[in-house]
Amino acid sequence: MQAVEGAVIACAGLGSRLGMGMPKCMIELEEKTVLSRLIESLRPLVPRIHVVVGYREELIVAHCAQYHRDVVIVRNPDFRTTNTAHSIHLGSIGMNSKVLYLDGDLIIDPASLRSFVSRGTERPLLIGVTRSKSSQAVFVTVPDGNVMNPTMIDAFQRDTATPWEWANVFIGSPQLLKAGTRYVYECIEPFLPCAVQMIDLHEVDTPEDLEQAKAWLLSHSSSTTA
Amino acid sequence: MNASETSNTAFCFDLDGTLTTTEILPCIAAELDVSGEVATLTRLTMDGLIPFEDSMRLRTLILGQVPLVQVHEIIASVPMAPSLLDFVQSHPNNCFVVTGNLDIWIAPLIAQLGCDVFSSHAVLTDAGMVRLDNILAKDEAIQTLRATGRFDRIVAVGDGANDAPMLRAADIGIAYGGVHLPATSAMQAANMIINDAETLCKLLKAL
Repeated sequence: MQAVEGAVIACAGLGSRLGMGMPKCMIELEEKTVLSRLIESLRPLVPRIHVVVGYREELIVAHCAQYHRDVVIVRNPDFRTTNTAHSIHLGSIGMNSKVLYLDGDLIIDPASLRSFVSRGTERPLLIGVTRSKSSQAVFVTVPDGNVMNPTMIDAFQRDTATPWEWANVFIGSPQLLKAGTRYVYECIEPFLPCAVQMIDLHEVDTPEDLEQAKAWLLSHSSSTTA
Repeated sequence: MNASETSNTAFCFDLDGTLTTTEILPCIAAELDVSGEVATLTRLTMDGLIPFEDSMRLRTLILGQVPLVQVHEIIASVPMAPSLLDFVQSHPNNCFVVTGNLDIWIAPLIAQLGCDVFSSHAVLTDAGMVRLDNILAKDEAIQTLRATGRFDRIVAVGDGANDAPMLRAADIGIAYGGVHLPATSAMQAANMIINDAETLCKLLKAL
């Protein structure tokens, strides 16, 4: 057992596919930003939260100064020429053992995230997968044939669709991201096959994703309040 | 034992509005009933709208009228962020105050902190006037510290426009907004932005 010492949320990207002129984490759903939803879900689970900023960083800096004063904001001034792996490598400063990494454009069911972090304490590396639904999915293949409830994956692939996709969430050592020039899933690919856990989440990458996420959030909040 | 106790890291802190939870010079100015004016001048300086050197000379000229004993009494009562004070006092050999404030004014605070200081230098003349001899360039303080060869890594923390060169010269620059939002130029020069003293201390201990 090794506790998860912190979370690194990657919020530096351009969000160009969504085309709203702001970082995707600053989009409001049900009057709350995607970033605030993430931070509020993470706060009871990890002692430290780092938020990596780049594109329109001033918006996130002001938002955190007002609502989330206990997060560390890490700047990636080279966000236009680097990718998420580089951002979370920068965001890992001061993290030394086991870290939860996640994209800032995710809307995650809090119970699902709690369960993921809890299981992450038992594994050196735990990868998040979710049911395939996003428009730019990186699919995963399941070796043991248990497609309904996967516990391991053995490959990432972009060309052939499978029922599960890479959730842009994992728990592992900060050392994994030393080489920060590739996609995040490419950095963890050498460690496959690896344990996975399902996470109930939606990514907000395109206008279609956003509509799906809104509908999911609405149905989810009505089911939990019923 | 945490990481910062085992590594050769120097931690450089701005004083006014970083270690102290209020700006010091407007407190002294209250003695002359010009605290509002000096606070405005301090704010404009923090934001980089007036060169720090010009502003410091002007503020010294005004505040030099307050007797030194009185200045020391005022400064000794300026509150400091408890967690940062504790961090500095627990790591006196690794911590440094880097301030544009005057050595003859801040002596009581430095004694309380128990660490070394880089500051502007002034003397009290026989006529009882404060004569400003040298205004600290904060990036030069970092270079001086680096030249000693004592440290593998230098971390700097500050909030004002005059801290930007120090944040840029350090290996890790932290714009700190515990008292007010850091100056834009300080944020642009920094690797990180932190708005809370406890959060800052947690990070410094983990570095």
